[in-house]
Amino acid sequence: MSSTVKVLYFGAALEMTGRAEEEIGAGDTASLRRDILDRYPAMKELTFRMAVNRVLLKEESLLKENDIIAILPPFEGG
Amino acid sequence: MKNRYLVGGPITPLLISELFTLGNDDAGAGAVSVFIGRVRDDEVNGHRVTAIEYSAYSDMAGNEVDEIVKTVKAAFSDVRKVIIVHSTGVVKAGETSLFIMVTAGHRDHATRACRHTLEMVKERLPVWKKEIY
Repeated sequence: MSSTVKVLYFGAALEMTGRAEEEIGAGDTASLRRDILDRYPAMKELTFRMAVNRVLLKEESLLKENDIIAILPPFEGG
Repeated sequence: MKNRYLVGGPITPLLISELFTLGNDDAGAGAVSVFIGRVRDDEVNGHRVTAIEYSAYSDMAGNEVDEIVKTVKAAFSDVRKVIIVHSTGVVKAGETSLFIMVTAGHRDHATRACRHTLEMVKERLPVWKKEIY
């Protein structure tokens, strides 16, 4: 089953997608990842992790309605 | 500061002097170790970096800082206070973008924990940069 989630893009992901956020329907993180790469093929060149509701994703998981998914390229602080 | 971990623009000398006073109320903290990170005017493909624009996932940064502090305190039992502040927005070359301060009873844990905190900030703080030439 598909849920509508909010996807946030940061760093290089924001540059590649040209948007800071959007809503996407997805049932789990793996299908969301595939959907994002289909929408933005340039992101296949980018290594990124995901956070679900502000927590780094350690393994693929199901998504709930209104979850907030952040697309996180490698951190560059310091 | 609205957000105690992220500050808009450079971390100014005035702010640094204020941050230095945190922990002054703890007379048991005999050692204070500080790391200050500044924007470097690197040359990239023949162009000189004049500034860096930092962006952050601020909603997540607070939790990550809390986790870093918790981890550092668990690893170094003598540590009493860990302060982490990172810039967002534009910071010019030569200006400060990262401030870390660790207070401890003694120098060994203060210095080692400060280095450990720095490595964890690099690894865990959701911050990105864009060079400006």
